[in-house]
Amino acid sequence: MNYQKIKTDFYNLHMIQTDKFKTISIKVNLKRKIKKDEITKSNMLINVLFDSTAKYSNKRLLEIETEELYGLKYRGSNYQSGIYTVMSFDIVLLMEKYTEPGMIEKSLAFLSEIIFNPNIKDNGFEETSFKMAYQLMDDYISSLEENTPLYSQIRMLEDMNDKAVFAYRSSGYKDDLNNINRFNLYQYYLDILANAMVDIFVIGNFDTEKMQKTILKYLPFKSKPAFNESHFISYNSIHSTVQEYIEHKNINQSRLVMGALLKDASDFELRYVFMIYNYILGGSPDSKLFKHVREKESLCYNISSTHQPLVSLLIIQAGINKDQYRKAVNLIKQELESMKKGEFLEEDLIKAKSTYINSLYELQDNEDSIISLYSGIEYLNSDDIDTRINKIQKVSLEDVRKLANKIYLDTIYLLEGND
Amino acid sequence: MIKRTFTNLDIDLYEEKIDNGLSIYVVPMTKVNNIYATFTTNYGNMQNEFIPIGKNDYIKVPMGVAHFLEHKVFESADGSDPFSFYTENGADANANTSNYRTTYLFSGASKFNENLEYLLDFVQSPYFTDENVEKEKGIIEQEINLYADIPYWKVYNRIIFNSFVNNPIRYPIEGTKESISNINKEILYDAYNTFYHPSNMFLIVVGNVKVEDVIDLVKKNQENKTFLKPYNIKTKLIKEPDEVYKPLDIIEADVIIPKAAISYKLNIRDMDFEKIYQYLLIFLSIKLGPTSKLNNELRNEGLISNAIDYDIVYTDTHILYFISIESYEPEKVLDRIKQEMNDRNILEPTFLRKKKVLKSSKVFRSDDIFAISSKINQDLIQYGKIRTDIIPYIDSLNYNEFQKLLNQLDFNNTAQVILKNHLHSNK
Repeated sequence: MNYQKIKTDFYNLHMIQTDKFKTISIKVNLKRKIKKDEITKSNMLINVLFDSTAKYSNKRLLEIETEELYGLKYRGSNYQSGIYTVMSFDIVLLMEKYTEPGMIEKSLAFLSEIIFNPNIKDNGFEETSFKMAYQLMDDYISSLEENTPLYSQIRMLEDMNDKAVFAYRSSGYKDDLNNINRFNLYQYYLDILANAMVDIFVIGNFDTEKMQKTILKYLPFKSKPAFNESHFISYNSIHSTVQEYIEHKNINQSRLVMGALLKDASDFELRYVFMIYNYILGGSPDSKLFKHVREKESLCYNISSTHQPLVSLLIIQAGINKDQYRKAVNLIKQELESMKKGEFLEEDLIKAKSTYINSLYELQDNEDSIISLYSGIEYLNSDDIDTRINKIQKVSLEDVRKLANKIYLDTIYLLEGND
Repeated sequence: MIKRTFTNLDIDLYEEKIDNGLSIYVVPMTKVNNIYATFTTNYGNMQNEFIPIGKNDYIKVPMGVAHFLEHKVFESADGSDPFSFYTENGADANANTSNYRTTYLFSGASKFNENLEYLLDFVQSPYFTDENVEKEKGIIEQEINLYADIPYWKVYNRIIFNSFVNNPIRYPIEGTKESISNINKEILYDAYNTFYHPSNMFLIVVGNVKVEDVIDLVKKNQENKTFLKPYNIKTKLIKEPDEVYKPLDIIEADVIIPKAAISYKLNIRDMDFEKIYQYLLIFLSIKLGPTSKLNNELRNEGLISNAIDYDIVYTDTHILYFISIESYEPEKVLDRIKQEMNDRNILEPTFLRKKKVLKSSKVFRSDDIFAISSKINQDLIQYGKIRTDIIPYIDSLNYNEFQKLLNQLDFNNTAQVILKNHLHSNK
């Protein structure tokens, strides 16, 4: 695998040469500071751009064209990364060996069409496309409540600190949606193209020089901001007593979600120790939570913890019966305490490390994860694979115990069902 | 050992059947780091009436036994925990149950030999006790609750239930709270001993391995264990009518946007199942996929915002394909789908474009060890053989045959399920 970063006037081009795959993946990232009231707009924009273009006037024609391009895969998405948001445009195509000559160029022309040649009528997005994108967005926001694991997690985070970036709803908000029309959305589109930081990633087996030229031709970005501020943010204000919220809903299973903050962590702790802590606590089917709350007490089918180093956040969630609420909370609290006392073994540490190292090997089997690896290096100043393997080995039991004592349980939320 | 090559995909497949009847399939891939192994028994939700090995009469087991077994196979007499073992080796382990099969699996880039040996050993050393069976009921009850709260699953479970009359495929794989309360260790051993015989199982390994090493290891491992002779498993033949159990069902549920599904039950006795399956997929993609006229119209009229979803399940005698949608006016959308299904005129260029995409999709999936393994698994369960010539096979599909087949099939047996809350009903 050979990585090359080319800085142009308006973007960074990251080219990863490898003969491991039969496909070529291209990802265009537009990065901006995240603003709560722009999330909905940003999602709407993706919906509109992927609904039609000037050349392909409806979604059906767009889809037919991807089939003509041998099933070209295309996708748009927004993801939050600490204090930033990244709008991504992705395509995956087969190497020309499996299709026909000229397909790389045609596929890039297609991507270009979506980004640079939208379906515009009188200074706004074309009305039908806008309506459909709007309806899709409206339905999407509405159905968040039907996804009880996700809904309960969002509700917990809002109760914890609704000003924090981690509590922003990635689905967007109805109130914001009401204020979007086809004209102001078009202005927003122009603003994004002018004011986002652009990174383009290409991975696969291709002629580097030719690829560079083709990209220059089809992706003529003219945006030039530079954001130097770190993606990481932490919130140090913690409620003086643990808050509890209970909301009732007409569902079978109750969802328990607990949120905790990590305070005053070092860079090494955020990137390495936190991961191991989470792994031992609830990050695997071999974790303390899984073994003690599920297997020993059979209180639940799923229970796990997740850590978000970019915002110093730890979330624990479980599906339970409502009468088991107190018992489950107490058991989880006990596990958090036992982490603080350092009640885990060298063996747990070894398991966490070998799982992590294995995941680093595995990610190299997949184009998308290789791109994530390099975007992490670009955006988050992440270490490369060898350095990561080296550093994770240095994490000690004492490191994990110390970190456990910087974790503060803040909010407990129960979405109470009928059972 | 037999070696075959997946045409135009640059992948080789090695297969070997060892003395105790176990079949092994290996796809070596030198460019990847990871290795994925799956150990599968031809036993799923559907086989719930059978003659247990060593006995003479049919027994009928409660719904959800195959899935319950899947959970319990992870127990061992010495208390060792497969999850713990695999995480120590940096590998991921899991298992899953379908209507047709149960699969145990791991993936990991290092310590492969140990990992594989362990997979064979833990699956082949059952340990069920009254206590560990009872304990599992609480966990599975929560799993049932989890699915019950997902509106899509409600529709899915009901449409399958209403489409079939006798076939056990109509029941949820995980069973119900009531059915699992009747499961005990004797039932589990009956099912295990009958269906987990090596001759009813197969092992698939895909990834960075040496073929000979895998085969040697499995052979040695199996030689050290004793099994009964391979035998013929007797499962009860099920008579399934062509008509559906309940043609229309409206369920009250707390959903924001109503959901609905329509199924088509097709009798496929004496027909080439694989061909029908492939042609149906093409037909559904043309009629309902993102390139379809219908999808475009329904979106334009504001009747749907999300894609139309469709899927196929099958039994020995029938194929059931079902179409799911989300809409504030589900009845209207279902009517339009019905109309569209009756129009079977498809233009040849559209058919050819779909063939092209189908072929490409095989290339897209051929770098991924998980996709390759799951295709082999699906082929074995579905057709009893692995199609390495899938690309030439797709090439051989032709427009006239497609048209002829569509006109042969009887699309009249349908079931509909609508899921909505009382507010929608008042609309």
